[in-house]
Amino acid sequence: MNKLLVSSSPHIGSSMTTDKIMKHVVIALIPACIAGIFVFGLPSLLVLIVSTGTCVLTEYLYNMLTKKPQTVEDFSAVVTGLLLGMNLPPTIPLYIPIIGGVFAILVVKMLFGGLGKNFANPAITARIFVMLAWTKAMTTFVQPIDYSQGFFNAMTSHFSTMFGGGVDAVSSATPLGIIKGSLNGGGGTISILNMFLGYTAGCIGEVSALALILGGVYLIVLRIIDWKIPVLFILTSAIFALIFYDNGIMYVLPTILGGGLLLGAFFMATDYASSPNTSIGVIIYAIGCGFITMLIRRFGGYPEGVSFAILLMNLVSPLLDKYLRPRVFGVARKKPFAKKE
Amino acid sequence: MKATFRFGIHPDDKKDRTKDLVAERLLPDEKVYIPLSQHIGAPCEPVVEKGDKVRAGDMVGKAKGFVSANVFSSVSGVVEGIVQRECVSGQKIDHIAIVNDGKYEEKNMPVLTNPTSQEIIDRVREAGIVGMGGACFPTHVKLSPNKPIKYLIINGAECEPYITADYRLMMEQGKELVEGILLLKKALQAEYVYLGIEDNKPLAIEEMKKHSEDLIKVVPLKTKYPQGGEKQIIYALTRLQVPRCQLPMDVGCVVDNVGTAFAVYQAVKRGKPCYERYMTISGGAVKNPKNYIVRTGMPYEDIIKRHEVTDYIKAVCGGPMMGLSLPNLNAVVTKGTSSLLLLTKEEIRETQPSACINCSRCHMVCPMNLMPMMIDGYMKKNDLEKAEEYDPISCIECGSCAYVCPARIPLVQSIRLAKKLIKERGSKQS
Repeated sequence: MNKLLVSSSPHIGSSMTTDKIMKHVVIALIPACIAGIFVFGLPSLLVLIVSTGTCVLTEYLYNMLTKKPQTVEDFSAVVTGLLLGMNLPPTIPLYIPIIGGVFAILVVKMLFGGLGKNFANPAITARIFVMLAWTKAMTTFVQPIDYSQGFFNAMTSHFSTMFGGGVDAVSSATPLGIIKGSLNGGGGTISILNMFLGYTAGCIGEVSALALILGGVYLIVLRIIDWKIPVLFILTSAIFALIFYDNGIMYVLPTILGGGLLLGAFFMATDYASSPNTSIGVIIYAIGCGFITMLIRRFGGYPEGVSFAILLMNLVSPLLDKYLRPRVFGVARKKPFAKKE
Repeated sequence: MKATFRFGIHPDDKKDRTKDLVAERLLPDEKVYIPLSQHIGAPCEPVVEKGDKVRAGDMVGKAKGFVSANVFSSVSGVVEGIVQRECVSGQKIDHIAIVNDGKYEEKNMPVLTNPTSQEIIDRVREAGIVGMGGACFPTHVKLSPNKPIKYLIINGAECEPYITADYRLMMEQGKELVEGILLLKKALQAEYVYLGIEDNKPLAIEEMKKHSEDLIKVVPLKTKYPQGGEKQIIYALTRLQVPRCQLPMDVGCVVDNVGTAFAVYQAVKRGKPCYERYMTISGGAVKNPKNYIVRTGMPYEDIIKRHEVTDYIKAVCGGPMMGLSLPNLNAVVTKGTSSLLLLTKEEIRETQPSACINCSRCHMVCPMNLMPMMIDGYMKKNDLEKAEEYDPISCIECGSCAYVCPARIPLVQSIRLAKKLIKERGSKQS
């Protein structure tokens, strides 16, 4: 007779595994990456490749040097690398994604114990790190490629600029920069349609709202991310805009479509390790993310606050988990299960 | 909206292969081995000796104490003696070996035409009826609560994948089953009686509605695991929550499986003690899966001999979510055996755990709203005190957490260990 395997139940399990989850996240990020490459051209592709490559290589080398089991095949470093790249301006010098990638994987992820143990989202933390270190490079944005003369002409001029050492790309304000400016009496116009499609200045992965929503819905439908986080994050931001901007209704759509809000809400705030584990915790976390984002955008010095908001709420989530324990079935509501007397 | 509990999982139910197969009567080979312990509680005392002639229905082991249940011969023949055999847990226990003469002469108890509540309870006790859903708790104990019972809940959820034993019972013995349920109701003097059936069995729901004639409220339940969990089905049907560490009767409920209700009918109206049951043989390695009416004491290997079987690496007694995996097929059918599954390598999920990614899936599916990842995390650090704060004692061990875990961490196994250590520590202190 065959040798029988004896183990404790359950004997079956769902087919969803860690690497599959991460691969789905990569698939969900692809539309936004393509949009970014289309809008900003080859440099953005390079940034994405360099940041992703750095992240994977860093994890690989770390595991090798510390003689730990190899974990790169779980694809989480790819996700981090892509997210980091997507959070950078297309014309960033390439040493920045390299330093950012090493920081994200080595400092934020591996030194804290690897996947699942990171206290904050590695991509967000790395973005903030490079933002504070190289503020100018991180806040210089370029105009999208001008496709009005046709795709072929646009590409010809794009490549000749890149390789021919031609004129520098024209720097441009992001929609949120324009809004921030207008609060201080500046001018400029923004197009909601362009923001929705992604034809504006900004970071590589954040420009196309359409592509981000596609990816986000994909993850929600597959139940890979908790819908509550993006929905409440975005809703809170919209309500904040409605209340705290003069003529707030005009600011609702730019608030949602502009900057990294969608990228952050769907893909960064939903990071498993750094978001709370309980339903109630998740609700507070998501509302907090939206609220802090808008506090910075409306009253702070930066035009954009998504990364700071997510990082701050990342740091709060262990507390939320600690104090907002779910009520165990059959335990009275008033007396939550506490320490034994 | 369908009655249900909160959270839970949706495993592939795999019932299609057997659900339409009428249960066949399976007669044992030349020998049966009746275990003296087929229930929770004290093992029975043997009341036969080597050489005794017995008939099917003759008592061979007498209950010792209140929480215990008589065991009966399932065939007619001659007692060969008491032998030690492995039971499903791998432990060696006493079995009464009986040489089957193939005549199946029966010894029945007198039929009770219009029994009183007490007469029903006494008969259930005499007939050795236990929870046929798999828990095997002696039914007469449940029928003697020290609190008034408002709701009798009959569990026809059959939420474990593969198994179609209860389904076949409902399809084939609807009328008798209804009588059995009403006997249980009378025994308990319950006000209401609900029969909960998952909605992936629409024909059974229809069949039971047809026979129940409004005497029993047949309620379709959402198909979701563990809908048939005792606390879950009570909540689904009555919205009552059984308080932590308390029993269903503390909220005025008693839950019995459909198989148990049918056994009660058999005992009272046919005078037949508990030695037969519905059982499913399935799993990917079984080419011709079947539903059977089996007799207790028949070794699994004798059953599998009659099937065409391909390579399997796990034999599971009970469902794949909560059943026991067997080291061999030496164990025999008992009163609580609802199925035997031979699973292939592709069907089972081996646990090669990777790091917890903190995705919260285990918490999100936990029907008790526990946080398995926290308990497991602290157990890995050998911090039982901290693990206990997350209340492992409330765990019903349904295995949903381990089922969904994308890192394949054996979560429920870790919680079981926590429960065991807490109980051991408790008994040491007292």
